[in-house]
Amino acid sequence: MVRSNFHLRKVLSAVPRYGFAVASVAIALAPGLVLQHYKFNDVELPLFLFAVALTAWHAGVGPAILSIVLSTACFDFFFATPIYTFYVAFADLPNVIFLVSFAALIVWFSSIRHSAERQLRQARDQLQMEVLERTQQASLLNLTHDTIIVRDMGFVVMYWNSGAQELYGWAPEEAVGKRSDELLGTHFPESIDEIRAELLRTGRWEGEVTRTKADGTEVVVASRWSLRRDEQERPVAIMETSNDITEHKRREEEIRGLNQELAQRSTELEATNKELEAFAYSVSHDLRAPLRHIAGYAELLQKRASSALDEKSRRYMTTILDSAKRMGNLIDDLLTFSRIGRVETQRTLVNLEQLVKEAVGEVRLETAGRDIAWKITTLPVCYGDRSMLKIVLVNLLSNAIKFTRTRPRAEIEIGCAARTQGEAEVFVRDNGVGFDMKYANKLFGVFQRLHQPDEFEGTGIGLATVQRVIHRHGGKVRAEGVVDQGAIFYFSVSKP
Amino acid sequence: MNDKLGRILIVEDDPKDVELTLTALEEYNLANEVIITGNGAEALDYLYCRGKFSTRSSDNPAVMLLDLKLPKVDGLEVLKQIKSDDNLKMIPVVVLTSSREEKDMIASYRLGVNAYVVKPVDFHDFVNAIRELGVFWAIINSPPPGSVRR
Repeated sequence: MVRSNFHLRKVLSAVPRYGFAVASVAIALAPGLVLQHYKFNDVELPLFLFAVALTAWHAGVGPAILSIVLSTACFDFFFATPIYTFYVAFADLPNVIFLVSFAALIVWFSSIRHSAERQLRQARDQLQMEVLERTQQASLLNLTHDTIIVRDMGFVVMYWNSGAQELYGWAPEEAVGKRSDELLGTHFPESIDEIRAELLRTGRWEGEVTRTKADGTEVVVASRWSLRRDEQERPVAIMETSNDITEHKRREEEIRGLNQELAQRSTELEATNKELEAFAYSVSHDLRAPLRHIAGYAELLQKRASSALDEKSRRYMTTILDSAKRMGNLIDDLLTFSRIGRVETQRTLVNLEQLVKEAVGEVRLETAGRDIAWKITTLPVCYGDRSMLKIVLVNLLSNAIKFTRTRPRAEIEIGCAARTQGEAEVFVRDNGVGFDMKYANKLFGVFQRLHQPDEFEGTGIGLATVQRVIHRHGGKVRAEGVVDQGAIFYFSVSKP
Repeated sequence: MNDKLGRILIVEDDPKDVELTLTALEEYNLANEVIITGNGAEALDYLYCRGKFSTRSSDNPAVMLLDLKLPKVDGLEVLKQIKSDDNLKMIPVVVLTSSREEKDMIASYRLGVNAYVVKPVDFHDFVNAIRELGVFWAIINSPPPGSVRR
């Protein structure tokens, strides 16, 4: 009824509404005149009042006032004596006043009714909007992957979103109205009283809880609770958002297991390393001592018995001494090589130019009686273990000196081949005997030698040591050579 | 040259090393005032004038050549005791060892050793090292007061 009226009002815009007033008065006038013709008097008044009421009801206040004016005029002209004049006889005056006042009353009531209706409609529209908005918000809560549960203070579920259904397996209609802790068999990390106390004190609580799903499997969730209070600050509900961390926990557990295993392996490795260190120590100490004795006593024997020995015996003695010396060098080189694998690198800023000068000083003994043209160009400051990098330089310089021995004038150059962001490539170039590039891959292997011992002496550990140091620094080594024309050794170092 | 020769205390368990060391010292007439002790305990007995050394004169040696790997009390322990004793800590101590291990070197210097020498494998180098040690510590260096000087 209200709704159709609303539509009617919309249809009746101003002109039709006033037309409605005129028409209704005209329609009331027609039967009045007909009935008056047949001497049925006093019907016209209710008819006019009916027309006014109809207009007021359907067309509003303005047309209703028009209908009052028209009705009064028609009544005055057609029915009040004297008829067909606008003059009103005294006897008919109460009728006119009755018509006007009663019609006015009808219009007034009708307008009150209309305004009440309007307010009602507005209130309803507003309510509809709010409902729409709330519905949208509620559907947003259903969109989230997180589970959202609202419970009253007795843990009875009041709201259960689709995330909760997805995670726990119960539909909202199954869960709402039940106690959540019973439904889900929740295991709390602390007592429920403590949780409640914290919730009331701070308004929130969070922790990891274990729950059982509808299918019986366990799930671990990270749960966050917020307390809702009413206008009087009384706690009324708890909103819980939570997300599934079962997989996360499982991975954590797995990582913990792996870490434990790693720690154990690391302990084992440490033990192995200690053993290795003990071995190296005993090599260093216990193998060197008898070697020194062999060399020492052979030397003493040579001194004492030299005159009594024949040429062959003297050569035997010399061979014993040379071999002992060579073995000593071998042990020393092997120890250096193994130490680089065992010892932590102590990285600092290293001035390579300064270090090259020190290395040149260290190999000075090997250059006695030689004509060597040194060329040291600008070298960068790099980042690395100073003593290890010195081993690299000493080895490379020592090699350069050794393999240029057949040259009347040796040329050895140390420089920087390339600099890129964070890295520099240093080279040591010589004009020595060089090597065939097809053996380049063998150069850096332990005990790999490209020359006969009687040609160029050596232990075959030097370049392996160089490679090990540079690899431990995260760098690369390479070599270029041409037989009889010299060799270039490159190594890269990181640069600040 | 040798009239101001200081006394050398050698702590060495290996008789062959002792012989080679003495040979090297003899070669340069440095062996006259040499005391040999075969282990750390004996060395400490000597320094504290205990046991078989209770009757020795109380003067300290001009230098002590100390091996690290020793029976009973090892070299580092001997060094530690000497350097923490007010009466002994002035004695110059030279560690003479086969060990090239960095940790031995670091430990020795931490304890206040005066020099660290790795015994060279080559006999010539060995003799040179011993000679230079003997010449420096027993002749050139002025030992602390209270040391034996012939």
